[in-house]
Amino acid sequence: MGVKKNKKQKREDYRAAMKQDDVLTMPRKKFYRQRAHANPFSDHQLVYPPRPDQMDWSTLYPAYVAPPEESQQLEAAPSTTEEAPSQEVSAPVKVRRLTQDVEVADIGCGFGGLLIALAPVMPQTLVLGLEIRVSVTQFVEDRIKVLRRQNEETKAYQNVSVLRANTMKFLPNFFKQGQLSKMFICFPDPHFKARKHKQRIVSTTLNSEYAYAVKPGGIVYTITDVPDLHGWMVQHFEAHPMFERVGLEEQEADPCVEIMRNATEEGKKVERNKGEKFVALFRRLEDPVF
Amino acid sequence: MPVPYHLLQASGSIIFAAQGTDILSFNSSLGHLSTWKYPVKATKTLSEATPGVDAPAEAPPTPEGPPAKRRRTENDEKEAKPGDAATPSSTNGQKKGRFHNKPQVVNISNEKPFINCLITTTNGSHVIAATGSDKTIWAFEHDGFGNLKQLSQRAMPKRPCSLALTTDQKTILSADKFGDVYAIPLIPSAESTLPPSVQSLPSRSATPASVQIPFKPQANDKTVHTKRNLKALENQKISMELSLKAAAEKSAAEDQPAFEHTLLLGHVSMLTAITVAPGIGATGEQREWIITADRDEHVRVSRGIPQAYFIEGFCLGHEDFISRLCVIPNRPDLLLSGGGDDDLFLWKWKEQQLLGRANLLEQVKDLVEPEATKVAVSRLKAFVLASGETMVAVICEKIPAVVLFTLEDEALEHSLTYSLESEGVPLDVELLDNDKLLVSIDTAEGVKPDSGSFLVLTRESPGCWGQQPVVDVPAGETDLNSQELQKLLYTTESLRKMSDFD
Repeated sequence: MGVKKNKKQKREDYRAAMKQDDVLTMPRKKFYRQRAHANPFSDHQLVYPPRPDQMDWSTLYPAYVAPPEESQQLEAAPSTTEEAPSQEVSAPVKVRRLTQDVEVADIGCGFGGLLIALAPVMPQTLVLGLEIRVSVTQFVEDRIKVLRRQNEETKAYQNVSVLRANTMKFLPNFFKQGQLSKMFICFPDPHFKARKHKQRIVSTTLNSEYAYAVKPGGIVYTITDVPDLHGWMVQHFEAHPMFERVGLEEQEADPCVEIMRNATEEGKKVERNKGEKFVALFRRLEDPVF
Repeated sequence: MPVPYHLLQASGSIIFAAQGTDILSFNSSLGHLSTWKYPVKATKTLSEATPGVDAPAEAPPTPEGPPAKRRRTENDEKEAKPGDAATPSSTNGQKKGRFHNKPQVVNISNEKPFINCLITTTNGSHVIAATGSDKTIWAFEHDGFGNLKQLSQRAMPKRPCSLALTTDQKTILSADKFGDVYAIPLIPSAESTLPPSVQSLPSRSATPASVQIPFKPQANDKTVHTKRNLKALENQKISMELSLKAAAEKSAAEDQPAFEHTLLLGHVSMLTAITVAPGIGATGEQREWIITADRDEHVRVSRGIPQAYFIEGFCLGHEDFISRLCVIPNRPDLLLSGGGDDDLFLWKWKEQQLLGRANLLEQVKDLVEPEATKVAVSRLKAFVLASGETMVAVICEKIPAVVLFTLEDEALEHSLTYSLESEGVPLDVELLDNDKLLVSIDTAEGVKPDSGSFLVLTRESPGCWGQQPVVDVPAGETDLNSQELQKLLYTTESLRKMSDFD
């Protein structure tokens, strides 16, 4: 019992120390461990905007916040006349806009390996990791904070950020229709038991929401080390009329695939255990005519 | 305890009213025409609805396989007998003390299959009802004089929460507690009534791929890394072999209902309302859209069959659960939504544009309950009166009033809050004879116990309605005590998230 308390105390002290503004050492995972599973159906204590336009991205991407006058211009742009911009009836919250939208999402980013690896590869693109576990999100947050500090003069890692969210429920609260060009689903919880299959992050009904958030031509990347889950994801994406599987040649030519294979924390772990990794990419098709 | 009429559905000059597990029909002067009684035998064959008092409440085998979902009961502790095969989950639950201080979801062990949805086709030829605890959808033929002939009885995979009909009136859409929307033909036939282009999406709960090889552990020593997990994998392999025999007896036919049903779309949240709205498609053709609402504040607009997999957009803005949707009959481009929020929301659903909000809580506070801090919309209906006006009637759970709005120029104007404080709590409202409102009342909540189960409101002038009780209607009796009855009748407020109270 005494040992346990000690551990908890250490963790708290460490986290408090990480809150300081001058920390330059990378956070250590052992202070951020959390049970690997979270129930996506439970309500949790989540914070999410009622609609995407009320999401305050400015704290996540401080380097991309639009200067105030510019954001006003942007807002006034649609209505050229002097009249008040056609404000939505329900938008009392004034949020600071970014100069560009988040375009790449890593669903269930875990400890953030992919985010960190993607940041220098696509420096002009905003990349967001979404993770449901509080401690793990905090780790990634601290990791990005330290990286940004270490690279202050190059302004690197300003384009990546992380957010605690239950994407299975609240993806449309964060992203507008067709906002994303790439979406990563890396080493998702396999939920081996048939009873738990409904908690899997890929399912045909949920794929409709992914099709909503990803623009036509956008790519959904999946990778897993569980053959059955791979089969499941392929089956469910191929059964969805809005997605087609990307051919092997094109898949291997995509630089993101290599990063996904080697840079994710899980990917490294599988590598150490000499496990197999199964990759599948799916292209969001054009909207059908209705 | 007498059961009040908790659901009303008008069809031409006939009023259908659900009273517990029964459906009664009335003519426009509220003379009783006929009654359909829930078949008593069916309760037993359908099982699950009536296990003995001592037997653990057990859901029918779900497609997921062995450990059947248990319903929590009030006498949970007593039921967890050692060696009882069906209660391993409860023994686990007792060990984990951290779940103990959670508020217990009380579920009546022999929950009555109360009717929770009642709809009719537009021409009145058919009536469709859903019962809660046995997850069954019932289709009836209506002879036009109030008599119902049962056509079919179909048990869905999960409990239906809301029903709708496609505009061609041939397909029933059932939105369930699990978040899925299924299409089932109104009249089951040998050949498929859905266009062949509609393919059923693989369900989240059914896995064709894994059913073929169910006994192979999906993890291997390459995918699990810790010592404990490896050990667990070993155990899994052993138990897999042991359970092989038992599981083999379970046929695949059990997994899926035998009747034609198509999974159209799904939310990862409990669905609370579904409606179908007509509109004009991009090619100028008449199309329809399926609008669904869930407990997590989403109103989703999906295309109609056969493109139900395509999400047109979300009407976002609610900050609490949504319980009711209503498309305005003479303005099908407009949608009303209401739930745990203080306001009703009016949408142009096709553009996902919020036209306005109408505050309900203030209206309730003004006239009925000054201390009210929240409202939960339990009924939301729009009627076109004989005068051509569009009237919106709202009932909030356990609030003794009907709140009326008029729709003028794409805006909701509060017209009247009709207080029913002395009569009781309204349960449902329907349009009668194109200019009167029929309200069904739970008189147990009122101060005049002898007031009728129905009340007819007649508009004398705009903003002034006269009332006239209807006493002479059959009273349904049940063995439920008032507490149990309350739980079955008032289910909306329970959709609110617990964290809201913290």
